[in-house]
Amino acid sequence: MKTFTHINADSVAEAVKLLAQYQGRAKLNAGGTDLLGVLKDRILPDYPEALINIKTIPELSGVAEDEKTITIGALTILADLSAAPLIEKYCPLLKEAVDTVAAPQIRNVATIGGNLCQDTRCWYYRYPDEIGGMIQCLRKGGKTCPAVVGENQYHAIMGAKKCFAVSPSDTAVALTALDATVTLAGGSGTRTLPVEELYTPLGNVLNPDELVTAIYIPKPAPAAKQNFIKFTLRKPIDFAIVSVASLTTLEQGICTAARIVLGAVAYTPVRAREAEKFLTGKELTEETASEAAELALAGAKPLAKNAYKLEIAKTLVKRALLGQ
Amino acid sequence: MTSMPEKTTHSIITLTVNGDEHAFILGEGAHQVSPSHTLAHTLRETLGLTGTKISCDRGACGCCTVLMDGKAVLSCMLLTVECAGKQITTIEGLGDPATGAIDRLQQSFIDHTAFQCGFCTPGIIMSAKALLNQNPSPTREEVQAALAGNFCRCISHYHVLDAVLDAAQKGDPE
Repeated sequence: MKTFTHINADSVAEAVKLLAQYQGRAKLNAGGTDLLGVLKDRILPDYPEALINIKTIPELSGVAEDEKTITIGALTILADLSAAPLIEKYCPLLKEAVDTVAAPQIRNVATIGGNLCQDTRCWYYRYPDEIGGMIQCLRKGGKTCPAVVGENQYHAIMGAKKCFAVSPSDTAVALTALDATVTLAGGSGTRTLPVEELYTPLGNVLNPDELVTAIYIPKPAPAAKQNFIKFTLRKPIDFAIVSVASLTTLEQGICTAARIVLGAVAYTPVRAREAEKFLTGKELTEETASEAAELALAGAKPLAKNAYKLEIAKTLVKRALLGQ
Repeated sequence: MTSMPEKTTHSIITLTVNGDEHAFILGEGAHQVSPSHTLAHTLRETLGLTGTKISCDRGACGCCTVLMDGKAVLSCMLLTVECAGKQITTIEGLGDPATGAIDRLQQSFIDHTAFQCGFCTPGIIMSAKALLNQNPSPTREEVQAALAGNFCRCISHYHVLDAVLDAAQKGDPE
């Protein structure tokens, strides 16, 4: 790996100050399991001058609760999150999602904030510099997305206009289903936004001097049934082809509230709002679940090689709703 | 070019590897540890502990697994500079260095012929060690889950499962 200046940040304020001083030429490092791959393969046009280690900031990890909310520090390690009794009690679908991330060794160092902010796995974007040179795709300021006419079997099936890369974060899908918000700290103060609004077609909304500090989950109704399903080619150390998170509240067989979120189908987790609306007030059966699955994928526009993702997504929606 | 922050950081770091404390000078010179060195690189190239293997070097194969404060981690995806103050155990740290006796888990791998080419074996043994330290009598499924991050292209997995479970059964009743 090409070298860089390494700085340990002792507080959020210091990290923000350093980011501002380096004006985009520094990267934050938490678990490092995504960033080190990016640096080793030299996939980005600009190599960072400095790495700012934020693991040294003490107050950013842990899970806490108050009456209505679960708070997760951005530096909470995935393995610790999975083992947290509060998560198991209130957000089993988040635990399920965390347990599908990568492998045990990675979950022992990777953080929830890093999982949300990880870069896409698009194989054109990630193409290593050492094998014939980096690919200057649209996401890196180039003119075209090679996936549109290329090998696009793992790319977006909805919502893409220019870049067809998908958000690889499993926890973002779970957190969107849980209606979670994320707090960003930066030079001009802090702001809080829904997890699904964290992502943009070419990356995320973080300014160069911002970092994720905390995630807030409103405690779901105890009766709500939570499910997370991730479809991968191999079970461990793989990214989702499609994932689905669902939260349904049933009263005497009738669905009174539903949240359905699709992952790895677009640049951001996608709420299936039409399907949610359709299900509300109806009995949850094989038929209504199938209908909801059709509605969830109604707006999809697959590329030449990824129409199969539609069928997988529909099946996962149905299975998640029926708890199969 | 804007002025860079003046903060000088950690010119010397120490980490404990297999019980021995090592101090490293940070820098780009000979015998120094660069901020960009991974723990796997430092273990192999600086300390000569070549039992830890580097295969994919991208966090996808598990060959470089070591224990950090008792937990299985990938040494290729950690910066040495960020491991300051940590306790690292590598495959060389198992068993009894005084007598040269190997660990029960290592013996079990031999007894079960739980490898072919052996390149992935140090990583698998370290993942299994982390599991047994935490859970001395795991089920077969728990062993599978704990070793999910270790790949073996010779398909030694079935023998590995037997070896780990057998080592667990022979564990001291503590």
